[in-house]
Amino acid sequence: MTAPSLPRLFLRAALTARGRGGALPGTRLARAGVAVDPARLAAYSAVCGFPLTGELPVTFPHVLAFPLQTALMTERAFPLALPGLVHVRQQISVVRPIGAGEPLDVEVWAERFATHRRGATVDLCAAVSAGGAEVWRGRSTYLARGATAPDGAPETDVDVPVGALDRASARWRVSADAGRRYARVSGDVNPIHLSALSARAFGFPRAIAHGMWVEARALAALSGRLPDAFTVDVAFRKPLLLPSTVELATVRAGGGWDLAVHGSHAGPDHLVGTIRLD
Amino acid sequence: MAAPTRKAAIVGGNRTPFARANSVYARASNQDMLTAAIDGLVARFGLQDQQVGEVAAGAVLKHSRDFNLTREAVLGSRLSAATPAYDVQQACGTGLEAAVLVANKIALGQVESGIAGGVDTASDAPVAVNEDLRRVLMELNRAKTVQQRIKALSGLRPGHLSPSVPSTSEPRTGLSMGEHAAITAAQWEIGRTEQDELALRSHQALAAAYERGFFDDLVTPYLGLARDNNLRPDTSMEKLAKLKPVFGTGADATMTAGNSTPLTDGASAVLLASDEWAAERGLPVLAHLVDAQTAAVDHVHGGEGLLMAPVHAVPVLLARNGLTLQDFDFYEVHEAFASTVLATLKAWEDDAYCKDTLGLDGALGAIDRSKLNVAGSSLAAGHPFAATGGRIVATLAKLLAEAGPGKRGLISICAAGGQGVVAVLES
Repeated sequence: MTAPSLPRLFLRAALTARGRGGALPGTRLARAGVAVDPARLAAYSAVCGFPLTGELPVTFPHVLAFPLQTALMTERAFPLALPGLVHVRQQISVVRPIGAGEPLDVEVWAERFATHRRGATVDLCAAVSAGGAEVWRGRSTYLARGATAPDGAPETDVDVPVGALDRASARWRVSADAGRRYARVSGDVNPIHLSALSARAFGFPRAIAHGMWVEARALAALSGRLPDAFTVDVAFRKPLLLPSTVELATVRAGGGWDLAVHGSHAGPDHLVGTIRLD
Repeated sequence: MAAPTRKAAIVGGNRTPFARANSVYARASNQDMLTAAIDGLVARFGLQDQQVGEVAAGAVLKHSRDFNLTREAVLGSRLSAATPAYDVQQACGTGLEAAVLVANKIALGQVESGIAGGVDTASDAPVAVNEDLRRVLMELNRAKTVQQRIKALSGLRPGHLSPSVPSTSEPRTGLSMGEHAAITAAQWEIGRTEQDELALRSHQALAAAYERGFFDDLVTPYLGLARDNNLRPDTSMEKLAKLKPVFGTGADATMTAGNSTPLTDGASAVLLASDEWAAERGLPVLAHLVDAQTAAVDHVHGGEGLLMAPVHAVPVLLARNGLTLQDFDFYEVHEAFASTVLATLKAWEDDAYCKDTLGLDGALGAIDRSKLNVAGSSLAAGHPFAATGGRIVATLAKLLAEAGPGKRGLISICAAGGQGVVAVLES
């Protein structure tokens, strides 16, 4: 299949939000032979702060999988309403660096419907393969506030424990249009990221940064310091309201890194995460 | 007390393939490409997380926000973050000058290893506000009261909004480099055919070098490009003859897009070290940088050609090392323009010029042309200004290593501002 149109999917998701329920469908959606557009890759890299190396930034395959995951979540059989879903955790396993010219096979599915003290969570998974071998795995955990997981569902696990991160490595001045800029290169046009007005409709005082952009920028800051294969696991905490000044804290831990993005002057955590060798 | 000097070893090099401006690297920044060139070198010589003595590199077209371009590239690379770095800028001489600086520190024992490099992009060139607007903005910045601010802003004119784009014209003469080269070509009576022949040979030599795998350990593919995309292996004298002249006037209009270098994007890096440092790591020594010389000419009022400074530098270098121009197995004369190479060689063959202008006893004489730019040069590969020096140093070092011990090569690179950098390498 071709890449689904995200604005159309978001609209459809909003119109079909009511009356959903039941168990997770076993649907798997896939695209084969996906070619990365060099101009889009360059624009994505510039917005996130990755150097242009000829290899895909660690977080880039997520934007290839995201339209498929969104399509899956807008299907009638999907039990949770897409509007209002909150991205609370993201795990990425990099098996090996992916060349920007490699044709990629992308497959997505949903699993692990779980209970959360404030509702239910579901994992949207993605597997990216090149030449028949898996090169990248992603697991995005979304929270549906007030939703109920089926009877007997397990407890969710959205916590990523990190060690002490008391020294800031960098200060970021995140501009008011950061959400629009990332939306342009990722296709994620969720209204909560685009403007204060559209964000207010969903209960946020201002537009909020995409969690995946915050993660991408943090990983870009570690360019040259990451091994070829690793797993990065981040929990998204307080939304990062735009514009903001925030700090990135990094520390070597467990053979990899612990990291956090928090408000300046020891403000609340927006993201905490770990990078570990596999 | 100064330590006795030693000769710096050239361990190897790495560069991106060079790309014509506004082609495959159009979206890559100087920092992207320099980082890629360094990381390729790191991968080739197992330097991951290692500290080298220093990294010296630069770019000719550089935005002021890139004041620490090389250090930023190092921080984003796989080298240890504890590796110091600094920027060098000497127009097209940047890459070779950077190699000389690193080699000199190695020779003095101040560092044991270092990386010299260069990068340029004509596609992602810095664009500045024009000078009038800049003055208004600075005035506005200094203004303290509302009145002063209004007064400053009242100086704004619509024409101020047109940006100031960098060009390759000489600040003091207003002439482009091509126009300067055309004057020199006319002065030295360099004909169209010999220029086209030199261009053809450059393409053929570069293509042949790629074919025999010469660049397999000198070039790392980047952004999907594996070879210099200016290379035309199938070009011919007929094709080159069809091109219309772009520089020069009348009968002297001999310089075309075929025998001049195009604007190019790319980066290069060279690993230099002491012999001991290389031996400890089991790394090869391709050649040593024996000596180098820079020179400058007065191209504004002095009547000398803009790109003739290497002609002046070489005899000084030869004299200091007790060499003649014929004592070399390879000559790498940077092909800014075919006419530049030909004028350089002709000047060295000219008895009157060598006596009157260079102050020598007589002509340096002719060189064996079959030893000139044997693996191709800038006419075929392209010329990302600051990256050319690194391309040539690595190419010549490998040619010398292939030829065996005791071989000698000469590098000659002309640069804007009437400057030139030349060096001797020995295996």
